[in-house]
Amino acid sequence: MDIASSLAIVTLAALIHASFQLSISVLTLLSGHAIGAKHSQARIMRLTFGFVSGAGVMTLLALSFISLIFLRVFGRDAPELIWAIACGLLIGVGLAVWIFYYRHEKGTSLWIPRSFARHLSDRSKATKSAAEAFSLGLTSVISEILFIGAPMIISALVLIQLPGYWQLVGIAIYTIISLFTLFSVWVLIGSGHKLSSIQKWREDNKGFLQFAAGGALAVLGFFVYVYEITSTASGALLL
Amino acid sequence: MSGATTTAIIKRKGQRPTEAFDREKLHHSIVAASLSARAPEGQADNIAYAVTNYVLEWLESRPEVTSHDIRLVATRHLRAHHPDAAYLYEQHRNIL
Repeated sequence: MDIASSLAIVTLAALIHASFQLSISVLTLLSGHAIGAKHSQARIMRLTFGFVSGAGVMTLLALSFISLIFLRVFGRDAPELIWAIACGLLIGVGLAVWIFYYRHEKGTSLWIPRSFARHLSDRSKATKSAAEAFSLGLTSVISEILFIGAPMIISALVLIQLPGYWQLVGIAIYTIISLFTLFSVWVLIGSGHKLSSIQKWREDNKGFLQFAAGGALAVLGFFVYVYEITSTASGALLL
Repeated sequence: MSGATTTAIIKRKGQRPTEAFDREKLHHSIVAASLSARAPEGQADNIAYAVTNYVLEWLESRPEVTSHDIRLVATRHLRAHHPDAAYLYEQHRNIL
């Protein structure tokens, strides 16, 4: 796979990651509690930036970790079976996102255990310092791993094929793009937008976001399968 | 209005122990929702005062209500004062 195609796949995977909503929900709750507690705007920005930074660092670490494991286990070329499993995972998670991602009720409740959602909600209320917000950002990425695991795995498989320098570029691209939506919400909060407007937009468009995320996962899985498995198999037949 | 009421509040589908109605707690949550909707502090406080009084009046004839009932009644009245704050107050548990 050439460098441009590899980075294109990493970019699409990162966009899919960015479309997932758990971290956005936690950021919305965190800023709501901070504003409600009459913190200064500077402190609100510090808290929310701490959260976004934490999410960024954990994304960087998780992708690097998965890539390192694959590199150690498979070397630069993962077996086709692993590619096929990763593609199957992408398509499977895509279908699951279509069916399960949001709960069928008002608001933007996600299909995660309620005790888990309550814990994150309580932690966002208890967060008073930027360091705590940073750790909440780390935790929120881990909480999303069920959904973001598949795009991360496919990105890692693509990245290990690249030369060292381009691996770092790919990880940086993934991290920056995956933070795009969180960063946008951070800017909106910083510029004085109402949380109610942000939340209303999320609620009004949740069906589209769900469809787009699930569809993009399935498309990515299908594309990588054709590119890596089918083309290799047909090439081997022609030879 | 003193805020003294003997109404018992049944918490979240009975999963947590029943407790007495706490006027300050409701006032604080309405202020927080109003501030989150970018209402000025003074206005948020006035709105919270009006909504809390309304809920207290509603509670007078009721010995026992659920926390969900209080949220519904407070939201209905808050909507008349500040629709955005009412939206956030209503949605608070449905964000995540």
